[in-house]
Parts: sequence; structure tokens; C-alpha cells
Amino acid sequence: MMLEARNLSKSFGKLVATDDVTVEFGREDGEMVFIVGPNGAGKTTLVNLLTGMLDPDEGNVVLDGDDVTGLSPDERVHAGLVRSFQVVHVFEEMTVRENLRTAVLSERGRTRSAFSFSDEHEEVERTVDDLVDRFRLADQERVVADKLPHGDRKLLDVAMAFGLDPEYLLLDEPTAGVSAEETEYVIETITEVSETEGVTTVAIEHDMDIVTEYADRVVALHQGGILGQGDPSILETDAELRRVLLGVEE
Amino acid sequence: MSDADLREASRERRLPGIVTEGGKRYIHVMRGMTLTPRRALLGLVALVLFVALPDVAMLFDSLPLLVVHRGVLFGLAAVGLNLLLRHTRLVSFGHAAFFGTGAYATAVLANHHGVMNVLPLLAAAALAGTLMAGIIGFLSLRHTGLYFSLLTLAFGQLLYAVAVGQEYFNYSDGLGVRSGDTYRPLLFGVEFGANEYSVLVYYLTVAIVLIALLVMWRIVNSPFGNALDAIGQNRTRARFIGIPVRKYVLAAFVVSGLYGAVAGGLYGLVQLHVQPTPTLYFLRSGDILFMAILGGFQTLVGPLVGGVVLVVLQNLGRDATSYFNALTGVVLIALVFGFPRGIVGSLKSGSRFRARLASLRDDPSVVGTWAGRAGDELRAGVRQAGRNLRVLIFGVK
Repeated sequence: MMLEARNLSKSFGKLVATDDVTVEFGREDGEMVFIVGPNGAGKTTLVNLLTGMLDPDEGNVVLDGDDVTGLSPDERVHAGLVRSFQVVHVFEEMTVRENLRTAVLSERGRTRSAFSFSDEHEEVERTVDDLVDRFRLADQERVVADKLPHGDRKLLDVAMAFGLDPEYLLLDEPTAGVSAEETEYVIETITEVSETEGVTTVAIEHDMDIVTEYADRVVALHQGGILGQGDPSILETDAELRRVLLGVEE
Repeated sequence: MSDADLREASRERRLPGIVTEGGKRYIHVMRGMTLTPRRALLGLVALVLFVALPDVAMLFDSLPLLVVHRGVLFGLAAVGLNLLLRHTRLVSFGHAAFFGTGAYATAVLANHHGVMNVLPLLAAAALAGTLMAGIIGFLSLRHTGLYFSLLTLAFGQLLYAVAVGQEYFNYSDGLGVRSGDTYRPLLFGVEFGANEYSVLVYYLTVAIVLIALLVMWRIVNSPFGNALDAIGQNRTRARFIGIPVRKYVLAAFVVSGLYGAVAGGLYGLVQLHVQPTPTLYFLRSGDILFMAILGGFQTLVGPLVGGVVLVVLQNLGRDATSYFNALTGVVLIALVFGFPRGIVGSLKSGSRFRARLASLRDDPSVVGTWAGRAGDELRAGVRQAGRNLRVLIFGVK
């Protein structure tokens, strides 16, 4: 069971953002993959192509053996492919609890119900309780999203993604804009929940310390193509990677 | 008790009555609705007024039942429009299209097809308006923001042009809502006299409006309503938590159009004559939008109150001065900038409302400050409009 990019290509005018990329995620259950690469390497474009934010010029996205290239983002979510964004995207005027509830209601296919009360679905409320505990948001449960400190906003964003019960979770810079002290907290919470749930997690990350510490596998992109992949030790051993990523000449 | 606590507590009891929570008393009306005594009283007064209106109106010469009735109907259309405005955050400038479609459906059926009974006429209005909303919604909702607003405006004007230009709709003179042998449609198979008929149709309106409000209240508090809120607050994220955005917005648009169509159908039954300008013209759409904002678009019943207030104001102003349009304009500017939450919204946050009133009493020159702020906002609005126009004409920011 894997999420695969098969010969994906995408250009914006003359700029080739993704150049014939073939890569697999989820070779093992709960695999934690980090996508690395310099600015403009096509990391976000690849995530956008995988999740349906963009349509590829060529190639396919295959989810557990099924071609999902033609599915809309919301259909992919229900197929188990969930993402978060570089910039926090939450429902700003809803409380933490309402944000999580909205995600869980959607995952359970309850949003079609137009005449029940949105907070009376017991099994949904229990899942929300669980998320609140797991992401340590209990104290903030009734705080409106745009009043939260940034680290908690990021956690809420990720918690909503987990509330969708993903099999594959794509995180675009989960630690972007998070303070140094909070970074570890955020990334640890993510890896912890991913591991216990067996969710294959793919994260774009710039901080090589985080990558080396938490990655099962690293995929390095450069100029839209794959420069190399393997376990995190390649960041130490592969001279070409070190030159492009870290600017180290050896 | 906070609003959230109140909501939670309101789930438990099934029978109406008084609940005591944390030493305070609340009135439990029905499952999901527990009110503070102040709100309950306000609601009760409003309800009594609403029901007793035909008797109240008789006491005032200047306030004919027909005028208030018309206000209620436009208000009902505004309640429908508000589903889009408040929840999905889409500004429709063409809601008169559905009001007019509903009104014309009654006229065409009565006039051309000899349908004589109120209920089938009303059902036809609802059906026609829903279909129209499905078509216009499908075509307009491919866009958001300004383009969506302009498309709804364009479709509205298209319908107006058709009504004015076609003999079938009797051009700008419009059609009467009566078939050959009766003066007015039949209620339960009986033809009533003019006065009885207008009072009976008013009570039909009261019943429909109460049901419509109850239904809307359930919708906005449901998972579907919650999904609409999510779409309004962050469309991208809504898609990426698995909400089929376009489908849901179209559904909301159709429901919203249905409200307008039913209101329009009732309008046809009340006025007994349907003309293009009062029902389909784009200024009507503007009125409906204004009613929602005037009454308080962050509330459920605000648009209804706004409808009654605007129509009555326009009517009184017409008697008082030939500049009545300017008069209502001034009142509206004062309300919108002084009390931006609208009438019902201001009542809800009573303390803020009282503070504003008090500052007005202390120092009437505060109006100048409000006007200054209004001027700033207006300037910003004009600048924005200029930018939008540039985008439209030159295609660049």
C-alpha cells in the first residue's frame, strides 16, 4: 500500500517546477519521509500535485494501486490523502473545538446532515475529545483560532489533519514560523501520533537537524527532479547532496 | 453561563420551562433553544406584534397592513440571502431574480393557465424559483468574490429585461394575479372579500415565515451549516478537509433562492399584480441586501426586521418628502456606521448599544465622529472599487 507519483511533470510557463518525478511514499507502515531541497526545488509543487491542489501536465498519482489523478482534493481526502499548508489554514472565527469538530464531521460524512445539531453527534464529540487530549489543546478548547499563539495554531492545523483519519499525511513545512522552543514540541507530537496511528507522513522540512533526527527516509529535490533518496545518513555521505543542500564543497 | 454552555445545557431538557443554572434563570423553549429571560421576552413581544399586526395596523392610518406585509416578504427573501452572506460569505447582488421569478410564477399561472387556488400558485412559485436558483447558481458559482456578485447582478438584469421585453409578461405593465372569473385567488376553494383575503394571506405569511425561520435556524446550526461556515472562513482549507465546496455552496444558493421565491410568490398573492420594476429590477436586489445588513446579518431574524423597517421607512418617507430616497439613505448611513451590527445585532449586544446611545445623549457631536469614520470607510471603499474596476477593465491589479 503506497502513495506513488508516476512521472509527474508540471510547468508554469517556461519554469519546470516538477520534472518527471517518480517516487513512492509508505514503503513501510507509518513511514516518516522528509522532502528536502533548496528554495525553488519544487517541493511544494510536488505536494500540490499529489493532493490535487494542482493538476499535473503529465504523469499520474496512484493511491494504494488506484489512479487518483482525476479526483478532486475533497475526494482524495476521503480516500485517505490529507495535507496541511505552509501557512496555517484554520477556520479563524471558530474555536479550537469547533475547528476539530468540523474536520471530524467531514471525515465521518456527516456534513450532509442539515437538520441535526452539529455538536450532538456523540461519536464525533468523542473523537474531538481524543484529538484535544492528544495534541494537548485542552486548555485552549474554547479559544477562537485567531486568538491562539502561533505554536498552538500550527498544532491545531495538524490536529485537524489527523482528525481526518489519514493514511497518508502531507505536511508543508510543519515547523515554519514556529519558535525554536516550540519546534521540537510540534514535530514530536506529529511523529508520536503518526507512529501510534501508523500514518505515513511526508513532510517538507528545511531544518536538517530535525530531518536527521526524525526521518526514516529522505527525498531530496533539485530543480524539479529527484536528486537522491535514502535513509538520513545520505545527508552526511552524498557529496552532491551536501553541495546542493548545504553548500558544502568537499 | 456562556453561549456555549447555554447551548450544551439546551440539549438536555425536552419540555419547555424555566431552567436554573448557576443561580440564574433561563427559559427553555425547545431542544437547542434556551434563552436568557431578556431575549425570551424580546422574542415573545416580537411574536405577539407579528401575529397581532393586522389589528395594530388598523390603529394607524399611515401604516397600512399591506406595507408591513410587503416588508415582511422582502425580509423573508433577505433571510434567505443571509444564508449566503453570513455563512458562505458570498455577496449576491441578484436576489430579486428569485423574488421576481416567484412573483411572476403566480401571475403567469393565474393569468395564462387559469390556476385559481393559493396553494398551487405558491407551490409553483417555490418550484420556479428553485429551478432558477439552480441554473443561476450553477453558472455564477464558478466564480467567487466580485465576479460572483457581478454575475448574479447580470443574471438578475437579464430576467428583468426579459420581463419588460416580452408580450407574454405584458411588458412593463406586468400581469394581474387573477384568472378570468375571480377577483382574487381562492383560499381553500373559497373566494373571500378583499379585506378578509388580505388578512388571511397575512396569516399564511406569518405561518410560512415562522416555519422558514425555524428551518433556517436548524440549517445554520447543523453540520451542513457548519460546513458552510467553514467554506466562508477558509475555502481552501474547507476543500482540503474533504468538503465538496462547490456542491455545498450551490445547495446553499438554491435554498437561499427558494426563500426568495416563496416570498415572491406570496408577494404576487398579496399585491395581485406583478410588475417588473418592483420585483426584478436590480435596485430591488440592493434593497434585499441592505435589509439583511440593516437588520443585522450576523443574526437569524435581523434580515426580517430589516425588511420591515426599510419598507416602512421608505413608505413613510414617501409621504413626508419628495427626497424620500435621500432621507432613507441618511438614516441607513447613520445606522450602518453608528450601529454596524444592525438593529437586531445591536439589541443582542445590549450594552454596546446602550453605550452608543448614551454617548449620543451626552454629546450629540459624536455623530460627527461617526460621520468622519464613515467618510474614511467610504473613501477606502471607493478606492477598492477603483482597483476592482481596473482589474475588470485592464485585467491587472
